Amino acid sequence: MFQKILIANRGEIAVRIIRACREMGIKTVAVYSEADADALHTQLADEAVCIGPAASSESYLNPERILSATIASKAEAIHPGFGFLSENPKFVEMCEKCHVAFIGPSAEIIQKMGNKSEARATMIKAGVPVVPGTKKPVYDVDTALKEAKKIGFPVMIKASSGGGGKGMRVAENAETFGEMFRLAQRESVNAFGDDTMYLEKYVGRPRHVEVQILADKFGNVVQLGERDCSIQRRHQKMIEESPCIAIDAKLRKKMGDTAVRAAKAVGYENAGTIEFLLDHTGDFYFMEMNTRIQVEHPVTEFVSGVDLIKEQIRIAAGEPLSVKQKDIVIRGHAIECRINAEDPEHNFRPCPGTVKELHIPGGNGVRIDTALYSGYKIPPQYDSMLMKVIVYDKDRESALAKMRSVLGEVIIDGVQTNIDFQFKILNHPEFRAGNVTTHFIPEHFDME
Amino acid sequence: MANLKNLFRKTEDILPEELPAAEHTPDVPAGVWIKCPKCQEAVYKDDVVKNSYVCPKCGGYFRMKAKTRIKLVADAGTFVPWFEDLQTKDPLKFPDYLEKLEALKEKTHLDEAVRIGIGKIGGIDAVIGACDTRFLMASMGWVVGEKITRAVEEATRLRLPVVMFCCSGGARMQEGITSLMQMAKTSAALKRHSEAGLFYLSVLTDPTTGGVTASFAMLGDVILAEPGALIGFAGPRVIAQTIGQKLPEGFQRAEFLQEHGIIDGVVERGQLKERIVRLLTWHCREVKLFAPETEEKIPEPAANTKARRRGLHKNEELTAWDRVQIARSSERPTSLDYMNRIFDDFIELHGDRAFRDDGAIVGGIAELNGVPVTVIGVQKGKTTKENIFRNFGMPSPEGYRKALRLMKQAEKFRRPIITFIDTPGAFCGMEAEERGQGEAIARNLMEMSDLKVPVLAIVIGEGGSGGALALGVANEVWMMENATYSILSPEGFASILWKDSKRAKEAAEVMKVTAADLLKLQVIEGIIPENHPADKENLAEISEYMKQKMCGFLTKYQSLDPQKLAQQRYDRFRRM
Repeated sequence: MFQKILIANRGEIAVRIIRACREMGIKTVAVYSEADADALHTQLADEAVCIGPAASSESYLNPERILSATIASKAEAIHPGFGFLSENPKFVEMCEKCHVAFIGPSAEIIQKMGNKSEARATMIKAGVPVVPGTKKPVYDVDTALKEAKKIGFPVMIKASSGGGGKGMRVAENAETFGEMFRLAQRESVNAFGDDTMYLEKYVGRPRHVEVQILADKFGNVVQLGERDCSIQRRHQKMIEESPCIAIDAKLRKKMGDTAVRAAKAVGYENAGTIEFLLDHTGDFYFMEMNTRIQVEHPVTEFVSGVDLIKEQIRIAAGEPLSVKQKDIVIRGHAIECRINAEDPEHNFRPCPGTVKELHIPGGNGVRIDTALYSGYKIPPQYDSMLMKVIVYDKDRESALAKMRSVLGEVIIDGVQTNIDFQFKILNHPEFRAGNVTTHFIPEHFDME
Repeated sequence: MANLKNLFRKTEDILPEELPAAEHTPDVPAGVWIKCPKCQEAVYKDDVVKNSYVCPKCGGYFRMKAKTRIKLVADAGTFVPWFEDLQTKDPLKFPDYLEKLEALKEKTHLDEAVRIGIGKIGGIDAVIGACDTRFLMASMGWVVGEKITRAVEEATRLRLPVVMFCCSGGARMQEGITSLMQMAKTSAALKRHSEAGLFYLSVLTDPTTGGVTASFAMLGDVILAEPGALIGFAGPRVIAQTIGQKLPEGFQRAEFLQEHGIIDGVVERGQLKERIVRLLTWHCREVKLFAPETEEKIPEPAANTKARRRGLHKNEELTAWDRVQIARSSERPTSLDYMNRIFDDFIELHGDRAFRDDGAIVGGIAELNGVPVTVIGVQKGKTTKENIFRNFGMPSPEGYRKALRLMKQAEKFRRPIITFIDTPGAFCGMEAEERGQGEAIARNLMEMSDLKVPVLAIVIGEGGSGGALALGVANEVWMMENATYSILSPEGFASILWKDSKRAKEAAEVMKVTAADLLKLQVIEGIIPENHPADKENLAEISEYMKQKMCGFLTKYQSLDPQKLAQQRYDRFRRM
């Protein structure tokens, strides 16, 4: 096992990792930018090394500086957290060259999963369902219609050069297909001078459901159930829960098995997440694989009882998984709300500031992951997430009730937060009923 | 600021037992990181290697080992090193010198400070050499001098070009006067190589100083340098100490040398191979001749109907003074406008190798339908800023000397010469006189008369006096329809003859300055028609016409015997 780990990150995730290390008797080295000299992770770690100016590119995104700090502090491993260099294959390669263990998968796997078309091809090969679509570009209506019928309606027509919704149309059936195709193609020609089109099955009103997996160096792969992360604003997740109430035991097993098969197919190692789109009929399609720990990992930790960060460290140190699939039982219900320093009344603009008064609630089944402390000045250069509030109870209704109670107790005085907006979501009848899709926020809240 | 740091208990303080010692700590294998010489940052070596040894962060240049340098330009697997077993006789019996050499050989895996041999670059056989600063700062002792001399002699014998990547601290102190003599020895070998009509390309890399600069480094037919390379005879520290002054930023750097006319150009490392291949192709292949003239009729540039509709003059109605105005117009295309349209792959070569690179004269090598030609032109600017750089198209003595250097280079390699003339006159100023404006023009007239290659001159705008003639001693001189060519400006003429420069318009009419007048006077051989005064709208069609005419010229003259060419030119001016 490692004796010293360097955490190449900041904020609550750095603190979360430091805590796991302390529990395991591993010394920690924090790295920090000039803007983070007073940050909690800097103060909590056993050692802290300044790696440059506030700009991420000069500090948390600078592989040379982070590796220099690692070598100077004699740390044996680097935990990258999420974001920053966590999915940078070149950084992983550099770590390998310097004989530093990177707590995550190999550079090769990160590279492979980071490339959308390669990841898709790999998944098709492994028998993982992907959103059906044309493999080759289509140019004329007749060929396109034949392809569309093969895929099955509704069909999404996409311009190859498309972006910002331009050259994109949904055809509900064969009758309207011709018109929609022509419209999309004309738009593409006008906007991009390109008539190359693709077709894809339109997954209407989907949920974002992802499966957590763990894999060790010995080929053992387990899945720890799913997370429903449908509540998103502009692709930023806001609320995550586990389990997903829209799926039954049979589908859960099917999705879990598929995720394990996908991980095995790429020879995956360490913690990872397979993201699926789940439609209302129970069909699911591979979206992408995240080759790192995720923000919302605590909900899985609550329902499975497995500490994912500690498992990550064990795997990287060459130890086998501490759990077997049969030992993993998903119990109860966990929900996470992300509290951000932003102003929902003004298009969610970030509002950094100084925390004057801070009250962190506690109690049974309550977990608060944050890097805030009283008097902390939030630097404006980084992500606006301040705190993750995670609650656990026997079922969704009890967990929701607990979340309301806990959120009502959180005090972060001096900083504008999205807590009120979180209440609006929590108290929305559709959300309470569990009727959510990835369109939930734009459909029910008219703010943009 | 809350000082929690001292309040938190450290990991070792919360554990029941002491932590065991670390099993392993990261050990970085040597060479994973290297420090950039410019930005001083540690950079990942793989990135540097992939980027031709240029820092991916700041663009700073790393010094290269001789082996790597040769690998960068030579075609894979073609290079064979020569003379690897030469031993210095240690002429001074310098204490510990031989031991030091032995140690260095072991450390660097080099036999001496230069690696030289034969290889191919872009499929062309060449003698290729590279110095290596890791070996006593690539100083030149007997072995370095001998290897280079022998290699150049071999190149002469085998009729091969030489490509030399230079860098050095200078002469090797440990070998004293023997080392000094290497300068003369290598230069002498290069003289014979040059006299044999062979091409020598010298590439100066960081740092090239002392006795190497003062010998083989500076003797290239073409001298290129890498950006930012330190190049000089005396080192900057020595100069600063001697004169007791702080040296200016960029002093003795490659760009400084280009500005001061000493080298032909600065080339980024990434583009170096391509540039070398291009230059070798032009200098080492058989001289290509134009195919016999085809019967195809060359269409004259069509009338610009749009311009006519705008009510512009028909050319026939233009007075001489009108044409003087048109020739001076800032709308008129410049030499570079024509060069870029007519020729392919133009590479500008800078400098007179003596004082300064004159912005008013541009010159270099390009291809005309696949045939390499030397092109030289007087260049005017289009904006005030450009015009200050170009000195309003008024060349200085160093400009004429650059032109002559390029013409002599063309003659050596049997390349036809095409000049573009567009100048109000040679620069009139104190500096020009100090450096011998008259001498520079006279020298060009004399030397051009005897060039053994075809020379074509085209007056595209103003043909002002001696400053124009200095590029105009050609086998044929053509003028564009609205160009002028004269003893001096109409204003000057009126002022000298009539003491009234305001009578310039009148002067223009009597001076016979237009193309039509000069054709009648047999001062020129041809007129490039402009159905509408040349501007960016009809530039393309005029260029196309000019290009076809040029091909005709080359077909006619390129096959002539060199002596006959010079004789024809002699006779052409003899009859005037």
